[in-house]
Amino acid sequence: MVQETVTIINPTGLHMRPAGLFASTMGKFKCNVTIKGNDKEINGKSPMAIMAGGLSCGTEITIVCDGEDEDEALKTAVDLVKSGLGE
Amino acid sequence: MFQGVNASDGIGIGVAQVAVEPDLSYTPHPHGDPDAEAERYNQALNKFVEHTRAQAKRMAESVGEEEAQIMVGHINMAQDPFMIDEIQNRISQGMAAEQAVDEVCDMFHGMFAGMDDPLMRERAADVQDIRTGLMANLLGKEVIDLSVLPPNSIVVVAELTPSMTADIDKDNVVGIVTETGGRTSHSAIIARALEIPAVLSVPNCTTIARTGDTCVVDGTAGTVYVNPTEDELDDFKKKAAVLAEEKKALEAYRGKKTVTGDGKELLLVANIGNPDDANGALEHDAEGVGLFRSEFLFMDAKELPSEEDQFNAYQKVALRMKDMPVIIRTLDVGGDKEIPYMNLKKEENPFMGYRAVRYCLDNPDQYKVQLRALLRASAFGDIKIMVPLVTSIEEIRAVKELVEECKKELSEEGIKFNPDIEVGTMVETPAASLIADDLAAECDFFSIGTNDLIGYTMCADRGNDAIAYLYQVYQPAVLRSIKRVIEEGNKAGIMVGMCGEAAADPLFIPLLVSFGLGEFSVSAPSILRTRKILSQWTKAEADALAERALKCKTAEEVKDLLEANAK
Repeated sequence: MVQETVTIINPTGLHMRPAGLFASTMGKFKCNVTIKGNDKEINGKSPMAIMAGGLSCGTEITIVCDGEDEDEALKTAVDLVKSGLGE
Repeated sequence: MFQGVNASDGIGIGVAQVAVEPDLSYTPHPHGDPDAEAERYNQALNKFVEHTRAQAKRMAESVGEEEAQIMVGHINMAQDPFMIDEIQNRISQGMAAEQAVDEVCDMFHGMFAGMDDPLMRERAADVQDIRTGLMANLLGKEVIDLSVLPPNSIVVVAELTPSMTADIDKDNVVGIVTETGGRTSHSAIIARALEIPAVLSVPNCTTIARTGDTCVVDGTAGTVYVNPTEDELDDFKKKAAVLAEEKKALEAYRGKKTVTGDGKELLLVANIGNPDDANGALEHDAEGVGLFRSEFLFMDAKELPSEEDQFNAYQKVALRMKDMPVIIRTLDVGGDKEIPYMNLKKEENPFMGYRAVRYCLDNPDQYKVQLRALLRASAFGDIKIMVPLVTSIEEIRAVKELVEECKKELSEEGIKFNPDIEVGTMVETPAASLIADDLAAECDFFSIGTNDLIGYTMCADRGNDAIAYLYQVYQPAVLRSIKRVIEEGNKAGIMVGMCGEAAADPLFIPLLVSFGLGEFSVSAPSILRTRKILSQWTKAEADALAERALKCKTAEEVKDLLEANAK
């Protein structure tokens, strides 16, 4: 299991499009992806769960990847959030 | 006649098509075969995805890629692993597919509807759409299909869901009436994008109008007529014909330069309120942005937006507008614009109080965040900084000093910006007008904000009907003030623009041509019309009219004169 903490920087937070991008990107990995933030544990492959998490701009989240391709998955996830999730 | 919210301009005359939601009630029946039930759900889901994909494709063609993304979002949400798991778990425990879908959608709907973020609350409507789609498929009912309506249809629905909007064929639908929704709702935005006249929030419209009734939708006035009288109908037909003719004629001005009748080139730009408005500005052929109100960044937030947030928004506009000028007004807080988290004290007289540049200069650390964001964005386009509510030279000097401080900081941090960024004044107070000569020497440009300039000059609140006769741009005092500002700016060799509503006033435009205004900043839909009117006036003609207007003693005389000479 690997994890890293990042801050959400895209202005509107994890709403539909950024959440969809994140979930669909992470869906390509085999490992489990969990986002911890706002005192919740969120399935990182589910755009609905991510959106329902209400993660706004400036929120610190910890991304946890657990499974065979966890290192690559974590790096991809962290880069994605840092890049502003396409916004 | 029924009154609602005017959500999308224009007049639509047609036949009502009342779309009532299908009955999606069901009896929760236990079942003995989870596999068969799961399969039923899978089929309903596949059908939903297929249908929605077709909608997205249609929407990408008719409205735009951005809107089509909403339908793609529906597919993603319906296929969400979390959602599917929740539904399948219930089915495997013996629940009927209908009930499982209903319960899980309820759960998500509740989650989204309860969120503070308005963007997220909109997702609640998406969940309802998904529920309706899946349930209709499970129950074998047809969802209202707006894609197969006859020509000249006026769509009457309780609520226009995103998927319904996706079905709307703009060749056949001439008007939209709903029972819910406001000017900023998704339905309103789509209606405007499709340029279909729309009136929202008309109570009980689905029971008042029956399919087959003749209807008139006046999206500008926000009124709906069901089975209008012959006279009313004739009246609207004439109005609609005039509007259509005008609109068609204006297309001739698309892509053309903005020039006066005698060939003087002018800049015709748009007023915008948020980065997405830049698209509308470009669609209407604006040559830049003359006023980007930065308040939206502050009003939509729960706390002060960070430098990064602001930079992103400013950069977005700069990039969309390419090399065209973008004037961004710094925070205009106070007066009628309250921002809760700033904790401004209640004032006896907020319009004459602690607001705009006064507040900003009193909170320089906060102001510098905005100035730094603006400077950083200036590396990506032609961004100019506009300071609101200036009344003294010290204020503009202090702002420029802060800009210089920010530049120094950014240089030291190795961050790019435009070192020659222009800083100008939004001239909207009598004080700024009276010292326009000195102010011009310290500014890179002026932009006259007529809305406040009229109010402060006439001591008249724009919202007060009892004194509406005073609040007029045609008042001789306002006329002289505007003339003075333009002339002093031109003398100093700086650009003078106008970003108030007067810049798009067909009656007032010749006076501005005569006074020598160089930039006209108007709402995006007024661009082509303003370009047309400007092309009709030569300087000599405008001067002759202005000379007479300046001799008028009353606003009424001025207005009568301008009306008599309108082209």
